[in-house]
Amino acid sequence: MYKIILAIRYLIKRRITYFAVLAVALCVFIVVVVMTVMTGLVSDFKQKNRDFVGDCIVGTESLVGFTYYKDFMTMMEETDFIEGVSPVIKSYALISRAGSQHCYGVEIMGLDPVRHSQATSFGQTLYYRKADAAKAFVPTYDPNLPGCVLGIDLALPRDSNSSYPYAVSPAEIGYSISCFPLTAKGALAKAGLGEINTQTFYFSDHSQSGLAREDSSLVYLPFEQAQLLCGMAGPLERANAVHIKFKPNLKLNAGCEKVASLWQMFKQQKAGEEQADLLDTVTVQSWKDYRRAFIAAMEKEQTMMTVMFAFVGITTVFIVFVVLYMIISHKSKDIGILKSVGVSNADIVELFSGFAFLIGFLGSGVGLSAGWLFLIRINRIEKWLFEHFDFQLWDRTIYAIGDIPNQVSPKVLVVIVISAIVACLAGALVPCWQAAKSKPIETLQVNQL
Amino acid sequence: MLKIFLWLRYLRKKKIVFLSIAAVALSVSLLMVVASLFSGFIDALRQAAVETVGDVVISPPIKFAKYELLIQRLEQMKQVEAATATLSAPSLLHLGKGNVRAVHVWGIEPARRAKVTGFNKFLRRQGQSDKEPSFDVPGFPERIGGFVGIAVVAEPNEKTDEYDFAAIEKMIGEQVILTTGAVPAAQEFESAAAQVKRRTLKFTIVDIVFTGVYELDKKFVYLPIEELQEKLYPNESGRVADQIQIKLSPGTSADVAIAQIRGLWQSFVDEQLDGAWYLRNTDIETAEQMQNPYIAELRKQMGVLLLIFGVVSFGVVVLIFCIFYMIVSLKQKDIAIIKSCGTPSSSVALIFVGFGACVGMVGSGIGIAVGCIVTKNVNAIEGWVRIIFGLKLWKSSVYMFSRIPNEVDWASALPIVLLAIAAAAIGTLIPAIVAARTRPVEILRYE
Repeated sequence: MYKIILAIRYLIKRRITYFAVLAVALCVFIVVVVMTVMTGLVSDFKQKNRDFVGDCIVGTESLVGFTYYKDFMTMMEETDFIEGVSPVIKSYALISRAGSQHCYGVEIMGLDPVRHSQATSFGQTLYYRKADAAKAFVPTYDPNLPGCVLGIDLALPRDSNSSYPYAVSPAEIGYSISCFPLTAKGALAKAGLGEINTQTFYFSDHSQSGLAREDSSLVYLPFEQAQLLCGMAGPLERANAVHIKFKPNLKLNAGCEKVASLWQMFKQQKAGEEQADLLDTVTVQSWKDYRRAFIAAMEKEQTMMTVMFAFVGITTVFIVFVVLYMIISHKSKDIGILKSVGVSNADIVELFSGFAFLIGFLGSGVGLSAGWLFLIRINRIEKWLFEHFDFQLWDRTIYAIGDIPNQVSPKVLVVIVISAIVACLAGALVPCWQAAKSKPIETLQVNQL
Repeated sequence: MLKIFLWLRYLRKKKIVFLSIAAVALSVSLLMVVASLFSGFIDALRQAAVETVGDVVISPPIKFAKYELLIQRLEQMKQVEAATATLSAPSLLHLGKGNVRAVHVWGIEPARRAKVTGFNKFLRRQGQSDKEPSFDVPGFPERIGGFVGIAVVAEPNEKTDEYDFAAIEKMIGEQVILTTGAVPAAQEFESAAAQVKRRTLKFTIVDIVFTGVYELDKKFVYLPIEELQEKLYPNESGRVADQIQIKLSPGTSADVAIAQIRGLWQSFVDEQLDGAWYLRNTDIETAEQMQNPYIAELRKQMGVLLLIFGVVSFGVVVLIFCIFYMIVSLKQKDIAIIKSCGTPSSSVALIFVGFGACVGMVGSGIGIAVGCIVTKNVNAIEGWVRIIFGLKLWKSSVYMFSRIPNEVDWASALPIVLLAIAAAAIGTLIPAIVAARTRPVEILRYE
């Protein structure tokens, strides 16, 4: 009981401890704000990637693609853990808008909009056909024309509020799309005959996935048309990937393992058939592995930021050390008296450790509250700064970010609070040890009193 | 003299002062490293822009003819050392079995380009020799040669972020196919009917370009400007280009040079290009000006990060306050004796404020030294982290450059040091005031 009383007494009576609490609060405040924003951005980015590709991808990096994808899809659909399966064609193309003098390089993705909306969140990314993804490639102005869906940043500029100037209905614009059709061996299918396939598609919708790279470089085409364009149609049709969505109750790794074993079985069944060697280039990956090149970069930034804040947090350890060192120096008589009435060294250490714990706890509490208050207003503050000083933390015309994430994650909070308390306890170690080592006979000598 | 004596004494006797020096050093080194890395990145971006397109760029909205005459006139100006023309178009490149890339093809004059941008040093084969770079295909004079960016051919190793140069150089001599497109000259101004015509061209890779800037190495293919023009604009009688890149003479002011170049360009348009209004007011800017939006954004991010770390480093002020408050509390008798010998209160206060400033100076000095060492060796440190933890922190595909820029930003050092000294002095203010208000008669009373 006396430990709690003394710890609280030192906290209240010794004004110097307020500075230690202030220092801890300041560090916690900054860390809470920065880590919440970073964690929010990373989580948002991961979720957008997952929405874009589904849960699992069976595919190849090669633009040649692989055969017998339809048989594999049939096999998948017969299982009870698959919710949606969608085949996809991927390639590079040159696109030029009718009436424009310029052409530019894009990536094309051929897909079936209904299937793809079941396997991924493709339907949700559309603008005009959000309610009816089946008509994604059907231009409203002429249903007989072959439609194409453009990544939003290919067609419209983003303003400083992250909004786009959508037209009331899709404009009638033709796009000429050309690409190299490839044979199953990767050679040019039209070598000596012009080398490329070109077809005109008509703008039918925008797609906004929230992924800057995809929205600025992807054009979505109807699956069969893309197959023809890329030379993948014919008696042995090819596709580049199959996107899969699992049923909600299935864990990601378990689902991917099941798909991988089914794929191995399928490969063995098809061994010896024509062009079955293309199946050797196919891998089965979860969405995390498939998109790791992009996600890893952001996670690494988060890790580096954490390490840098850890260095800065060392200052907090120093402050707590100095404050406790000071208090223990001044309170040597108190400690001498306590020890002379029978308090053990361990109890002395516990007393001052408890005091350090209180500093950490209080400082974290103040820092967390201030951080939370700042975060719930962070977007309003940014808007105010933009209106009055033309300052935006992230220029929305350059960065594909909406509102600054401000949802405080309980996990992050707990880690920060524990780290702050541990830092305070670390700072208290040496002073506590010194206090425990002090001898009452020396501190209570007459000339010391 | 008294001050220095007391400072040295407290430094010897109160080892805890070293803690405040360490805290100042830590904060200063962190701010220094952050400022240097960001500034280095911005400088590298500027440098890459100059090495890609020269000092000044003339970028008309559409292609124009008679560029050789324009270049001749430009090179007669004393402000201009060399100039070269380029023609560009987006393209698809078929590199081999199933390997297709979306690239940007530049038609260039390699010898002239080497004078404007130092282009030859980026060539893996021809960069070793003193000869002017050339597209000639050894043994096949009738073939068209081309240079290809290194990342077009192969990606760097995922773990080490390094290229397998031996494997990549095996592509030299390979024939590849490029398809590109342009609007025929006759349709240029018929916007409704204009249709981009696709053209295909076969060329032999004669060299690999490695600039160290991932975006450039991944996107660009270089062909002879005449060959590209023949494909894109076969009906053009004269030579055409869509950009002129200029190297200025050493010591030339960019603003003065741009004004002179603009005057020359407008005269050229009036005389040779029928005074076309859409060409007269063409963008003429330095390579650095072209990067301004990105550099402004980077500077903003640097400012925000420095502010964040600066605010946290405010804890140093609190630490110094605590330490000096403790020293003043414990050394009250010393202070009382000094005052009783006639030292005024202001001098007593200055002793402690001065000591705080010295702590700030020493800490800043150590911090700057540590910051410099870390910045200069950042690539080695990154290598050790990769070897020890298996974590590749810096990737060219993410951060644009193959190597982390590691030049120390001395311009940032002075403000950081001054701020550190001021922070340390501020931290000692209250203890100094307490010391100054000490009453010798109360402290020195015998009890």
